[in-house]
Amino acid sequence: MGEIRIARQTDYDLFSPTTPIVIDNGGSTFRIGWAGESDPRIMFRNVAFRPRHRSTGETVTVVGEHDPALFKYFDCTRSSWRSPFDNNVVYQFEIMEYVLDYGFDRLGASSSMAGKVDHPILMTECICNPVYSRAKMAELLFETYGVPSVAFGVDAAFSYKYNQNLGICAEDGFALSIGFMTTHSIPILKGEPLPEGSCRTNVGGYHVTNYLKEVLSLKYPYHAPSITWEKAEELKREHCYVAPDYPSELQIFKKETKEAEEKKWVWQLPWVPPPQEELPSEEELARKAAIKEKQGQRLREMAAAKRSQKITDLENELHVLETLLSQLDEAELPEVASSILARSGYLSRQEIESAHSRVSQSLRKARGEPAVTVEENTDTATSADKYPLVSIPDEMLTPDQLKEKKRQIFLKTTSEGRLRAKQKRAEEEMMRERQNQLEEGRRLENPELYLEELRAKYKELSEKIDQRKRLKTNGNGNGNGNGTGNGNNVSGGTGRGERLNAAQRERMRLLTTALFDKGKGEDTFGLKDEDWQLYKLMSKDTDDDDDDVVDPDEAELERVAAKLQEFDPSFVGRAEAELMQSTQEPPRPRALTAEDYQVVLGVERFRCPEVLFQPGMIGEYQAGIDEIVSHSLRRLPNLDSSIKDRMCQSIIVTGGGSLLPGLEQRLETGIRATRPYLSPLKIVRAVDSVMDAWRGASVYAASELFSTQTFSLEDYNEKGEDWLKRYNIVYSLYD
Amino acid sequence: MEADVVRSEMVLPPVMPFKRVQMGDKYQKGQSRGRYWKHLKQLLQAENFISLPLDEPNYLNIESPPSMYPSKKYCDITGFEAPYVDPRTKLRYADPEVFKRVRNLPNDHVQRYLALRNAAVIIR
Repeated sequence: MGEIRIARQTDYDLFSPTTPIVIDNGGSTFRIGWAGESDPRIMFRNVAFRPRHRSTGETVTVVGEHDPALFKYFDCTRSSWRSPFDNNVVYQFEIMEYVLDYGFDRLGASSSMAGKVDHPILMTECICNPVYSRAKMAELLFETYGVPSVAFGVDAAFSYKYNQNLGICAEDGFALSIGFMTTHSIPILKGEPLPEGSCRTNVGGYHVTNYLKEVLSLKYPYHAPSITWEKAEELKREHCYVAPDYPSELQIFKKETKEAEEKKWVWQLPWVPPPQEELPSEEELARKAAIKEKQGQRLREMAAAKRSQKITDLENELHVLETLLSQLDEAELPEVASSILARSGYLSRQEIESAHSRVSQSLRKARGEPAVTVEENTDTATSADKYPLVSIPDEMLTPDQLKEKKRQIFLKTTSEGRLRAKQKRAEEEMMRERQNQLEEGRRLENPELYLEELRAKYKELSEKIDQRKRLKTNGNGNGNGNGTGNGNNVSGGTGRGERLNAAQRERMRLLTTALFDKGKGEDTFGLKDEDWQLYKLMSKDTDDDDDDVVDPDEAELERVAAKLQEFDPSFVGRAEAELMQSTQEPPRPRALTAEDYQVVLGVERFRCPEVLFQPGMIGEYQAGIDEIVSHSLRRLPNLDSSIKDRMCQSIIVTGGGSLLPGLEQRLETGIRATRPYLSPLKIVRAVDSVMDAWRGASVYAASELFSTQTFSLEDYNEKGEDWLKRYNIVYSLYD
Repeated sequence: MEADVVRSEMVLPPVMPFKRVQMGDKYQKGQSRGRYWKHLKQLLQAENFISLPLDEPNYLNIESPPSMYPSKKYCDITGFEAPYVDPRTKLRYADPEVFKRVRNLPNDHVQRYLALRNAAVIIR
């Protein structure tokens, strides 16, 4: 990968107009430089991006990779990185133009006064490039950049030629070029590629990276944002390898042997552990305890003060009331009495007495003495007084008094009812207490047996409830399904042999009678309000909601479950069990550890490169890269088998995708499987798989006869498209 | 433009001295140029390879035929060999534990796994 910031070259003007510029226009990387040099000057990712600049609002163009921090000035949401390629053919010439602009600019062309790029251009393309793409590229170079002459060549052939001159491979052989989106196998005979024998399969480095990215994102959805394309490429470059034999490698990992453990790579994502709370030291604890004590003490004091205050208040009140009473007693004349009463604000002596008893009661409670049960007696005693009219028969009362009597009857019954309810509750309480005590006794005697009994009872009850629920929903499902037939098919089939219960039968009856068209006679439905209640009865929802009566079985189940929770350590409630089944994530309450932030590359390390050999893994039903060599050979039937043998001894693997460790070994086994028994086979990796294409092209362009291979605008215009289709350079210019 | 953007020179200037025709003149602002370019499929259709002699190599000719070897089936989740297919989701799985995971997958994950294999049903 090129540097993030590419410096502009300054020596553009030093090169004469006869020096060609060499461009390796690759699917992943664009390389540009001067002919004759050993390395391209400029390299960058062959993509362009058109975001909107936030502050000015204009749309700008960015080519290649840049410092990601600078992208905050741009609105990057509406646009994405675009490549001029579709598969391995250039189709988008606007993007291509941006890329060329950037490339030429960084080469230093902006400093020239010529107003055009005044150098011949040698550009790489794929083998059998469609003529439309070639023509458009030539047009772009001629008309927009003013290039004097252009030549197109195949990158794999240049790489082969370069390696041939280094002695790595022979005059006849194969160039197996693993590119970004495609892989080609090109037979080379006498130094020239044979397009009629070449074979292309549509898998390349892109597919490997994409597969890795997707598989990791799906395996660790929590970390999906961190698994970017760039990160996936980095992981692929550093940790992926090709398994020498895929099935046995899988077995190693399946059996989880020690070898598998060693082969696993763990990527630790940045993770900050939550701040560890320090365990408070002894003094801290003591201090905190002391503070709590003090606070408690203070609260207690305040409560005590309040209570004593209350007691004194009550005592005062009591005192006042007692004096009043004594005054009333002393008062002999009724006028005095009434005047005393009027002053005090109480209406009668009875009121004063009741107030008095109330106050003394609360006083006693405040003091903490047990309440005297005198209250009840007075209550019952006064019940007859409270409802005096009840006992008197109706005839003897006036209408007003009758009304009064009704009210009193009502009050009496309600209060009696309340009393009865209280009594019943008290009884139930006592019974439950007794039962609990019995159970406790049993448990303490024989804990094992008790647990067993509980568990059995729980299981029984839950089964019963489940069954009932199932019947209900099945029956409802049946009823509902039939009901939507709405008049067409309302005859209730019970389906699956389950009986409808009484409610469902009733509903069925209603539906049939309501929907059945009576024909003659007017339809009087709806005249009376009660008719609409029919719908309520028909609806199956009310069935469930009307269960006000708490199911006795369910209540029992609750109780047993509670007991089990208390005593049985291995008990898991039904609701919890269901919950655990349905959630995919582990329950969050437990603290996140460093392990949660790890991405483990185990099988993926060799699973992703396998895509090159088995394109079926990603749904491409084509041959793998080892098989295409055999296809190439089959496409050359006229070749003598000795020549084929010779070619197979000089197979060069080139292109970025060939950097995976273990690739050659795997290729050898694969290709050997397609060749006759014991025929010679030799596979070599290019000296520099990534750069050799450009270097080969550079050497080619620097040779003297290069100008014989180029064509100019006049040539293009004169000879037309047909000629361009057949245009192919001769690679062996400099043998 | 902000200072560091200018300094990094990441943005292409609108006028390049070595070009005869500038981008701004060639492509008017506001037009959608994406649809103007023919994609590979259209290019190849236009090329009309059928009319050409069969033995001349062209872009389509040199495409690889389907593989000679029958494709092996691998588990979509773990990558091991997968003799089984889940009838509901059509995902391949290797053994019962993986099956549990398959059944617990949310729907979009299922679609993504299938898309990896080019087996997702695309409903437009």
